[in-house]
Amino acid sequence: MRPILALFGKSPFGPLAEHTERAHQTVQLLRPLFEAFLDGDWAKTDEIYQRISKLEHKADVLKNEIRDHLPKSLFLPVDRGDVLLFLKEQDGIADRAEDVAVLLNMRQTPAPSGMRSGILEFVDYIIATSAAWYASSRDLTTLQEASFTGPEVDKMMDRVREISDMEWEADKKQAALSRGLFEHEEELGAVSIFFWMNIFRVLGAVANHVENTADLLRLMLARR
Amino acid sequence: MTVGLIIFAVTLAAGAYMAWTIGANDVANAMGTSVGSGALTLTAAIVVAAVMEFSGAILVGASVTDTISKGIVETTLFAADGPLGPDGPLLLGLGMLCALLAAAAWLHLATHFGLPVSTTHSIVGAVVGIGLVSFGWRGVSWNTLAQIVGSWVVSPLLGGLLAFLTFFYIRKHILRSQDPIDATRRIAPYLVAVVVAIMTLSFIYKVMKNRADVPPVLFSIGISIAFGALIGVLAGIVVRRRRITPVMTPYTYVERVFGVLQISTACFVAFAHGANDVANAVGPLAAVVTLSRDGFTTVAAQVSVPFWVLALGGVGIVIGLATLGHKVIATVGKQITEMTPTRGFSAEFGAATTVLIASSLGLPISTTHTLVGGVIGVGFAQGIGALNLRVVRNIVNSWIATVPAAAGTAAILFVILRALLI
Repeated sequence: MRPILALFGKSPFGPLAEHTERAHQTVQLLRPLFEAFLDGDWAKTDEIYQRISKLEHKADVLKNEIRDHLPKSLFLPVDRGDVLLFLKEQDGIADRAEDVAVLLNMRQTPAPSGMRSGILEFVDYIIATSAAWYASSRDLTTLQEASFTGPEVDKMMDRVREISDMEWEADKKQAALSRGLFEHEEELGAVSIFFWMNIFRVLGAVANHVENTADLLRLMLARR
Repeated sequence: MTVGLIIFAVTLAAGAYMAWTIGANDVANAMGTSVGSGALTLTAAIVVAAVMEFSGAILVGASVTDTISKGIVETTLFAADGPLGPDGPLLLGLGMLCALLAAAAWLHLATHFGLPVSTTHSIVGAVVGIGLVSFGWRGVSWNTLAQIVGSWVVSPLLGGLLAFLTFFYIRKHILRSQDPIDATRRIAPYLVAVVVAIMTLSFIYKVMKNRADVPPVLFSIGISIAFGALIGVLAGIVVRRRRITPVMTPYTYVERVFGVLQISTACFVAFAHGANDVANAVGPLAAVVTLSRDGFTTVAAQVSVPFWVLALGGVGIVIGLATLGHKVIATVGKQITEMTPTRGFSAEFGAATTVLIASSLGLPISTTHTLVGGVIGVGFAQGIGALNLRVVRNIVNSWIATVPAAAGTAAILFVILRALLI
C-alpha cells in the first residue's frame, strides 16, 4: 500500500451533510402525515408512517456508515467526539419524527375541533426549523474548504443563533397548543388529551434535536 | 578484466532498470497530489514530471549519488593495497552491483506483500550490508550512516513543519480574511515568488558548484530573488485575469487560483524528487563506472559523478514514467481528491523544500515519507477532512525492517557471487 494513499481517510463532512438531508426528509413527511391524521384517513396515516419509518432507517444506516469510517486513529480538523455527538443528535431528529408517526399510527385519536389550523401551523413550524438547519448543513463542506475559519464560520454562527431562536418559538407554540387542549376536556376525554399532549411533546422534541445539533456544530467551531 | 566487464555491464543494466522502476512507481507519489487536486491534468503532470525529474537528476543529483556510491561504505578499505589485496576494487564493484540487485529484489518482495517500503531505504540498507559483510563494523562509515538515518527522522518532521506553516499562513491571511478573493490576489504572487526563488537558488548553487568559478553567494541570492519576483509578477497578472463567476463561493475561487500556483510546487516536487531519488538507481552505478575507468585496479577517493551516469538515471526515470508511470499517477491522483490546491500547494512546498535541502547536503531521504509529513502538517493546521495517522506507524515500522532486510539480502548475494566469480 502506498503510504500517500493510506494517509487519506474518508472525510466525514460530506456524509454528515447527507445525513442532515435524510433527517430532514423524514421531518418533511410530518405535514402530509398530520393532514391524513386530522382528516381521519387512517389508511393514509399508516402509509405515510411506513414511509417515515423507512426514511428513518435510511438515516440510521448512514449514521452507522459514518461511524464506521471514524476510527480512533483518524485525525480530523475538529474534535472526533464532537463529530460523533453531533451525528447522534442529528439522528435524533429523524428518530423523534418517527416517534411522532408511531404515536399517530397507534390510536385513532379524534382531533380537537377548531384546533386543526393551529396544529398544522405548529407542524409547519417544526418542519421550518428542520429546513433552516438543513439549509445550513449544506455549508458543512464549505466550512471544511475554509478550514473552519473566517467569515464562513461567522455566517454559520449567526444561523445557529437563528435556529436556537426558532426552537424557543416552537416551545412557546407547543405550550400554547397544550393549554388549548384543555378547553376540549369534555369533548376529547382524558385518554385523547393525554395522547395529544404526548404528540405535541414529541413534535417539540424534533425541534429540540435540531437545536442541539446546531449547538454541537457551534461547539465544534468554537473549539477551533 | 572479463569479470570487471561483466560487473560493469550488469550494473549498467540494473541501474537503468532501477531508474525505470523509480519512474514507474515512485514518481506517482510525488505527482499524485497535483493530479488529485486537479492542479495538473494527467498529461501535464507527465510532461512536468519528465522535464523536472530529469533536470533535478542531472543538475542536483550528483551529491546524493556521491553519498551512495562512496559515502556509506568505507571505500578506502577496498583499495588494491588494502586488506583485500589487488582484488579489492573488483570486490567493491561486485558489492555495489549486489547492493543494487538486492535493493531491487527487496522492493519487489515488499511491494508484493503490500509493505510501504521506500526505494531510498532499500538501497541504503543494501549498501550497508556490503560494507558489513566485507569488513564487519569497520566497513561502514557510521558517521555518514547516522546522518542519513537522522535525516530520515528529521525530513518528514521538517516537511511537516514547513507545510504546517505554509497552510497556517494561507489559512490566516486568505481563508480567514473577510474577502478571500482579494486576499488571494494580493498574496498569491508572493507565494509563487518564494517557490521559484528557492528552486532557482538551489539550481544556481548546485550547477555552479561543480565548476571552478563558484558565483558569490550574494550574487546567487540576488539572481534567485530577481527571477522569483519576475515569475511572481507574471503569476500576479494571471491571477488577476481569473474571472469570478457568480455561482462561485470565494473558496472555489481561492482553490482555482491555487490550482495555478500549485503548478509551481508540482515542478518543485518533481525537481526535488529527481535530485534525490536518481541516486537510488545510479549511486552504485557511479561507483562501478569510476572503478572500471582504470580496469578495477584503484579506488579513487575523489572522483566526481560522471554526467552521463546521471543522465542515464534521468532518462530511465522518464522512460519509466512513459511506459507505466502515467497509469500509476492516474490511480494515485484519483484516490487523493481530498487534497485541494491550497492544501496540495502547502504540502508540496514543505516536502520539496526539505527534499532539496537534503539533496544539497547529499542525504538520501524518502520523498514519499517527506510528502506524507507535509500532508500531516497541513492536517494539523485543520486543512484536511480526515487523516489516517496509523500510516506513520507503518512507515516507521517499514524503515526499521527495510534496512536490515535489504542489508541481509545484499550480503548473502555478495557472498554467493564472490565465491562464484572471484
